[in-house]
Amino acid sequence: MKPADRSPGIPTLGPITNSNLAQRRVHFDEGYHKFDQYDNVPLCTSKNTNAANNTTLMCVDNMSRETMFCSKCGEGFEPQEKIVNSTGQLWHQNCFVCAQCFRVFSDGVFYQYDDRKYCEHDFHVLFAPCCQKCGTFIIGRVIKAMNASWHAECFRCEMCSIELADTGFIKNGGRALCHECNAKVKARGLGKYVCHKCHSIIDDQPLRFRGEVYHPYHFNCTACGVELDANAREVRNRPGLAKNDTNELYCLRCHDKMGVPICGACRRPIEERVVTALGKHWHVEHFVCAKCEKPFFGHRHYEKKGLAYCETHYHQLFGNLCYSCNQVISGDVFTALNKAWCYSHFACSVCDQKMNQKTKFYECDLKPVCKKCYERFPKELRSRLRRQHEANNARRAPTPVE
Amino acid sequence: METAPSVSCLPHNAKMSKAKKVLEDAKEIENPELDLFDKGVSTFEEMPGLLNMTYITRLTLSHNKIKSVPPGLANLVNLEILNLANNHVEDLPLSLSSMPRLRILNLSINRLYELPRGFGAFPALEILDLTYNNLKDDSLPGNFFMMQTLRALYLGDNDFEKLPADIRNLKNLEILVLRENDIIELPKELGELSRLRELHVQGNRLTILPPELGNLDMLSNKAAFKFEGNEWVPPIADQLKLGLSHLQDYLRSEAYRVAYNRYQTNKPSVPPPCADKAKKISRIR
Repeated sequence: MKPADRSPGIPTLGPITNSNLAQRRVHFDEGYHKFDQYDNVPLCTSKNTNAANNTTLMCVDNMSRETMFCSKCGEGFEPQEKIVNSTGQLWHQNCFVCAQCFRVFSDGVFYQYDDRKYCEHDFHVLFAPCCQKCGTFIIGRVIKAMNASWHAECFRCEMCSIELADTGFIKNGGRALCHECNAKVKARGLGKYVCHKCHSIIDDQPLRFRGEVYHPYHFNCTACGVELDANAREVRNRPGLAKNDTNELYCLRCHDKMGVPICGACRRPIEERVVTALGKHWHVEHFVCAKCEKPFFGHRHYEKKGLAYCETHYHQLFGNLCYSCNQVISGDVFTALNKAWCYSHFACSVCDQKMNQKTKFYECDLKPVCKKCYERFPKELRSRLRRQHEANNARRAPTPVE
Repeated sequence: METAPSVSCLPHNAKMSKAKKVLEDAKEIENPELDLFDKGVSTFEEMPGLLNMTYITRLTLSHNKIKSVPPGLANLVNLEILNLANNHVEDLPLSLSSMPRLRILNLSINRLYELPRGFGAFPALEILDLTYNNLKDDSLPGNFFMMQTLRALYLGDNDFEKLPADIRNLKNLEILVLRENDIIELPKELGELSRLRELHVQGNRLTILPPELGNLDMLSNKAAFKFEGNEWVPPIADQLKLGLSHLQDYLRSEAYRVAYNRYQTNKPSVPPPCADKAKKISRIR
């Protein structure tokens, strides 16, 4: 059954340029030039159902039927014929159809536009906007931006893909970007940082905190509460811990008062690795040999009278140089008579024969002399040396040696 | 072996051959360290070829009877250690002090009355042992205290009475032994020898010490300061009895500076030469 056959007076779709909807369509086509605007328009001005919109089938008596006519075809109603009543108008059942396809509304849902009623499908085809991204009709909220229409969930930042419908956007080089990405792009172009908090460019010195950069003025000193500047210091609560989410910010004044270790050499606070030695703290590069002033960088150091020395200079200055060869003793040390020898250089000072710890030797002016050589010493010298030893021992016996 | 007689009884010729044998063995294996001690050698002629063994680094001639050292010894340009202890050396060649690598020279227990002119020219000498000779103040040549490399100077058992202020030039001196000389006074310049850690002045004729000696570190574990056997003025003797730390503190004190100045104007009497040294075998002429 073709509805067209039965309803000769089918009104054609009239000019719709004056209607609200038509106006909006014009706007779609022209596009909005204010780019940070979006519009939220309930497009479906009247999506009706029979029940919701008082569309009823009525049975009225014959008397009144004579004065009633179908809103579409203008004919009267047969007695007993069912009449559709919708929004105060009456219809033949067969005349209550989509103005475009002339089919009965499925489920009784129709869309009304300029007094004409359309099925859902045709209404979309004729009037609903298409999403620029997914190409499907937009029902409900329409985002009009960048000369196109979008589903709210389809209009996203081209860099970070965050939805822009509720936050607004900025057109940047033909792209729609969120404020944050836009600021980043802009800052990158200027060689500057973007504040991780307010997302605007940091013109002056940035403040680094927990791995991000900020305008210093977003923060206050943890201790005194003063607004911070770029001199503020980030303090690790647990030094050495890579995790930085417990770090805190202090103004320079409070930071310096906080018991941060002070370098024993330069008297400035140590923020990097701390070397602790000689009862003080040191910058790694300030803990140096007292003689050559080269940093130890973790190499072995020797302590003497509150100073630290590298191996070479410790030995040079404090002794473990071989009495014979005057070189630093690298292997075993032979220590005797207030002196030290390379193990292989310990020898009788008179005959130069090697001695070991088992060799008995005499002492003359704190030089070692083997037994054989000592016995070749002049007799009177030996007796003097003996007397001297005895006197020394006698002197030392009553009072302990200093 | 059981027939080996005591060394001194061996006939002279047998000893000579002993020295030669050592030399020949050494030449064969090119041993750079030559031991010729106690071989009864009295002249270098008894050791033929020795002065051509220029590769040797050590020559030990202790306990021989060498009277004279030939200038040719300086041919041994690689020699680092020369030991002539307990010989009869009376004079030394001038050339000795030109030996470029000589580090240790032992001339103890010899009969030296004087050292050659220019003796202090050694370029590398570190240890010089002149113990038990007959050296006195005017025995030393003018450049003696110019030996900058000297670490140890042994002058014990000699006849020195004073040391010159020049001693300050021995900047590397760590050990100075003046045991049993006739030292009357120590030079205040000793206090400038910052590396000095051994000072033996036992058995001299000292009465006072220069306050500058307080600059030296007498207390480190490598230090040895020996002051016994002198006729110290009472305050120094008292401090010595208490210990070296007390002496060091006293020498550094204002009280001692004042006392020292007083001793300078009113010198304590010089004790007589203490030990009878006539018995020294080094006196034998």
